[in-house]
Amino acid sequence: MKTIGNAILLLTALAAGGSAQDWEFGIDGGYSIAPAISVTATQPAGTATTGFAPGAAFSVYVGENKSRFVGGELRYSYIMGDARINSGGASTTFGAVANEVHYDLIFHTSSKARVQLFVALGGGVKIFEGTGVEAAYQPLMQYAYLTKTREVKPMGSVGAGIKFLLSKRLVFRIEGRDYISPFPTEVITPALGATFSRSIMHNFVPMAGFGFRF
Amino acid sequence: MRLKGCLVAIGLGAVLLTASAPLDGASFGTVVSIGGQASDIVLDQMRGVVYVANFTANRIDVVSTADNTIHSSMNVAPQPGALAMSMDGHYLLAAHYGNWSPTDPQRNLITLIDLTSGARQTFIMGAAPLGVAFLANGQALIVTTSSFVLFNPASGGMQTVTTFAALAPLALPAPSATFPQQITETALTASGDGNTVWGLGGAGTASEIVFQYSAVLNQVAPPLAVQSIPPLLPRVSVNADGSRAMIGYAVFGSNFGSGVVLAQYPDPVISLNIAGSAIDSANGIIYAQIPDTAYPATGPPFTARNIPVLYVMDAANLKIRERLTLPEDMVGRAVLSNFGQTLYAVSESGLMVLPVGAVNQYPRLVASQEDVLIQTNVCGNGVLSQPLTIADPGGNHTAFSISVSQAGVTVTPSSGVTPATVQVSVNPAAFQNQAGTASIPLVITSQTAVNQPQHVRLLVSNPGSNQRGTIVNVPGRVSDIMADPVRNLVYVLRQDTDQLLVYDGTTYALTATLPTATTPTRMNFAIDGQHLLVGHENAQVIDVFDMNTLRQSGAIGLPFGHYARSVAASNASTLAVARNGTASSASGGASAWVGVLPGPSEVDRVDPVNLVSATLPALGVWQNQLSADATLAPAPNGATILLADSNGNIMLYAATGDTFVASRRDFSVLQGAIAASSYGSYIVGDNVLNGSVVPAGVLDTSVGATAGFAFVNQGGFRLSGASASGPGAMENLPALPSAAVRPTLVVESPVTPGVGNVFTRAISPLAVGTNLIAQTTSGFTVVAWSYDAVVTLPTISSVVNAANGGQAVAPGGLISIMGQQMSLVTLATSQIPLPTALAQSCVKVNGTPVPLLLVSNQQINAQLPYNVTGNAALTIMTPGGESDSFYFTVSATAPTVFMSGTAGPLTGLAAVVRWNNGELVTPTNPIHANDWLEIYLTGMGATTPAVPAGQPGPSNPFAVAQALPSVTLGGHALTVSYAGMAPGEVGVYQIDALVPPGVPTGINVPLEISQGDVSTPISERVVN
Repeated sequence: MKTIGNAILLLTALAAGGSAQDWEFGIDGGYSIAPAISVTATQPAGTATTGFAPGAAFSVYVGENKSRFVGGELRYSYIMGDARINSGGASTTFGAVANEVHYDLIFHTSSKARVQLFVALGGGVKIFEGTGVEAAYQPLMQYAYLTKTREVKPMGSVGAGIKFLLSKRLVFRIEGRDYISPFPTEVITPALGATFSRSIMHNFVPMAGFGFRF
Repeated sequence: MRLKGCLVAIGLGAVLLTASAPLDGASFGTVVSIGGQASDIVLDQMRGVVYVANFTANRIDVVSTADNTIHSSMNVAPQPGALAMSMDGHYLLAAHYGNWSPTDPQRNLITLIDLTSGARQTFIMGAAPLGVAFLANGQALIVTTSSFVLFNPASGGMQTVTTFAALAPLALPAPSATFPQQITETALTASGDGNTVWGLGGAGTASEIVFQYSAVLNQVAPPLAVQSIPPLLPRVSVNADGSRAMIGYAVFGSNFGSGVVLAQYPDPVISLNIAGSAIDSANGIIYAQIPDTAYPATGPPFTARNIPVLYVMDAANLKIRERLTLPEDMVGRAVLSNFGQTLYAVSESGLMVLPVGAVNQYPRLVASQEDVLIQTNVCGNGVLSQPLTIADPGGNHTAFSISVSQAGVTVTPSSGVTPATVQVSVNPAAFQNQAGTASIPLVITSQTAVNQPQHVRLLVSNPGSNQRGTIVNVPGRVSDIMADPVRNLVYVLRQDTDQLLVYDGTTYALTATLPTATTPTRMNFAIDGQHLLVGHENAQVIDVFDMNTLRQSGAIGLPFGHYARSVAASNASTLAVARNGTASSASGGASAWVGVLPGPSEVDRVDPVNLVSATLPALGVWQNQLSADATLAPAPNGATILLADSNGNIMLYAATGDTFVASRRDFSVLQGAIAASSYGSYIVGDNVLNGSVVPAGVLDTSVGATAGFAFVNQGGFRLSGASASGPGAMENLPALPSAAVRPTLVVESPVTPGVGNVFTRAISPLAVGTNLIAQTTSGFTVVAWSYDAVVTLPTISSVVNAANGGQAVAPGGLISIMGQQMSLVTLATSQIPLPTALAQSCVKVNGTPVPLLLVSNQQINAQLPYNVTGNAALTIMTPGGESDSFYFTVSATAPTVFMSGTAGPLTGLAAVVRWNNGELVTPTNPIHANDWLEIYLTGMGATTPAVPAGQPGPSNPFAVAQALPSVTLGGHALTVSYAGMAPGEVGVYQIDALVPPGVPTGINVPLEISQGDVSTPISERVVN
């Protein structure tokens, strides 16, 4: 919550500082989907999948139209999704959340049109945090250890969407993002003798929200 | 006719207050003498008084609860025989016993006293009123010689609820030395909520009835006609909700049908006057005085006065928690004050006041153990000792003395003040001619203690090297044992404390204690192999226990008057043999025995699923009439049930056809072993029977009568014994009938049958090839399946520390000795201090016996003495002889973390615990900065203060390691706040350390403990 508060303050300050230009401030809500990765254990031998469960996502942003077709957005997102391992019908979960701060360049159709298509490309950091209750034994711990710790990873962001100008100042937008980051191996640590199939994770977040132009 | 009266105060000098006058030593409580004989009491807590009906002086004495003196008296009509007070404290009602000869109806009175105004009214009853009780609805229930009457104190109206066959209480004038309730023969009491009244009428007569009235239904349940032996005295105490009542020495349930007698005191004897009880529902306690075999009360007149005793018992099964010495006998109603603080009871002198809620303030004694078992062993020489602690449960300093009258046994010191630990010492030379176990009472006495401490049983076992088996001590009276090879458990019925004890089948440690109903006798599995059925000598129920969950799952109610001593399941029916005494009732309806009359017995069919039972009309073509000692034994395959009767009758039930198919009487008397096989063979006593229960042979009796037999396939194991303190003998019979082969002596004798058990199981096998369990003098004896194998010399292959199996060992550390032939059985001990001999194995280091934790064929766990360093020589002694010496080196310190932790299926974890959550450190519970860690290890050497080998680490003061260790994590030093012995643990040390910020993280960060010049590293996961 402290992270969220700081981000909102930052965005508000940026918004206030750019009031003479074409600024947009908004909030989005969506759903996080992070495809699991495979994990192979040797002691005992077996396979499983691990990653983060789907969960709600919230974000706030402040954007600036630098030109008729290019803009930029600074965005903070809070993504919910427990860490989990699944294998053969068994599963174990551990509380987890992620915080993201990133800046994206926005390439859009005419900013004067009532309907704008746009693509986004940018980057930032993603802070993974295991929040569950620690125990000496976790089911499926032969594959991975779900850990109560915090881990910061660099993150890339790509996405696309549509903005609808509902009025001169009010914007409704639908968009989707893929947040790409290294897999957080401190929060979800491969067990001794286990290997993960990928070291990169994707996190797809379809969102919808409203923006206010000023 | 109505009379009005007024309160008449009389001087204090008219009556006497008598302080407690113990007959022998100290006693508990105070006696208030009323100068007459009391018939009933009422406690009025609102006014701080007790009303005592003075039957013979025709008054109601008012005793202040503040100072236990009589402040005033109310003169009333003659013979106030019963009292009751309305629940709002407004009215006091007295029933006057007017059953005079010649008859005078004018004497059958009740007196209503308005306690607020002091006004009194008197009413004439149609028949002699015997008892009164007020209800929650404000009315009073009055029992006369022929009816139940509701009385409205506000209007004076009376309404007959029902009538019954007339009771015939004693007519006045009565013979001399007859107490009031011997005359009225009736008592009734309302439940705490005022909705139920229980009573007993015609106590001790042919018209004895137990009745229950519901104020909610305004209905009297059909009274139970009872034949009680010994007679139930008219003492009725009821629990808070009226669901059960203690009447005389028996606890009745409210169903008034099957299983109505939930418990009865095991050893009551005939008493004309002495008895009383009160139920403390909130605390699950019953306070009672019940004359028993230890306190016969056939008077008055008495030929010899015994010490009156108040039993403090579990309300559920009358298990005695404590015995308190009373100043005089209880002879009537007992009532408890709110919150169970004070018990008031009608006593010989009038009123007895017992501050049961403050009993901790009175001197009492209790021993730390019920049994002290001292075993000589192959290492043994010289005097053997065990500590015994005497304490006062209230923390008082109470003087005591201990006496023993057995040569070769000493208690030092033999007297002292609590708390105190004495040494019980045995000189083996005094027992050299004894090959079994001697049972010797250690008598604890005190001139100041108000309780009667139980004697401690000293068991001296002195087996020869040719005797096999390992004793597992079970205090008290064991009535049955049974091994469960499926669950690898051993079940023991402890009769004196009403418990089913569950022992682990590998370590023989007690794992569960389950309460049973009163006086469990025998047990067997239901046909599902999951539920254990337990019969009782003194409860009309069969307990059902789920052995998968180790919980009681229900109780089967038996027909009224039936006490199941034995129960057995087949593939068709489950049968119980129940002692019974059904008889016709003088008052009509069903009648049955309550009490300890031994028989005859009947067979009931019981349903362990629906918890119901019914008596079989016949046993096949034979009458369903057996002697009290008949016993059942089921065949393991559920095909048959053998029934043996002490009168020589043998019957066979077959599941095919669900009937009895054979009955023979080839013997004049039978007792001892009883067993049934799955192959059409049976054992009763020393007799082998074939599939038609025809005698087919006799077992060898040269080594004693057969106490137990366990079938294994078509043969089995036989246990016999000649004398209680001698050895037992085990024989293996591969087939029946056949001559016994490989007879071998075992360490102690099988037990003689207990109460309700003429026939005994006495031996029961665990899984084939493991161990046999024998019921013996000290509890049970574990005998290896291969008990008769040739015993060879033990050999030692290595000595390692018990923490991680490494070579480094230190003084006081725990070690594991690896080898062969080191013990015939696997046995762990929880005895403190640790014994130096276990299961006939002992270990010497440099000639000194060392404490043992576990023995088995290939491994022994022990503690090194504190006085050994450098080169050491270790030998093992077993019945096979003494091993060659094994040489090893003992370092001054060798800290080694235990790698014995478990979490879920994980084993072999380092014993490092995070304080934050109390769980072991693992990759999913990693170390964080600022964590406090507890590290458990062994081998930290000498401590200050020194702790003797075999003794646990103390907590006040702690035993601190003389050589302080350092602890690092990833090279960063941790702050060590404590390093020394773990309190309460033998040979186990503990380090408490704080993890500083900035320690390196990783999945395998070295955690290193260094002490002196020795260090031991392990790896743990560390995260931010």
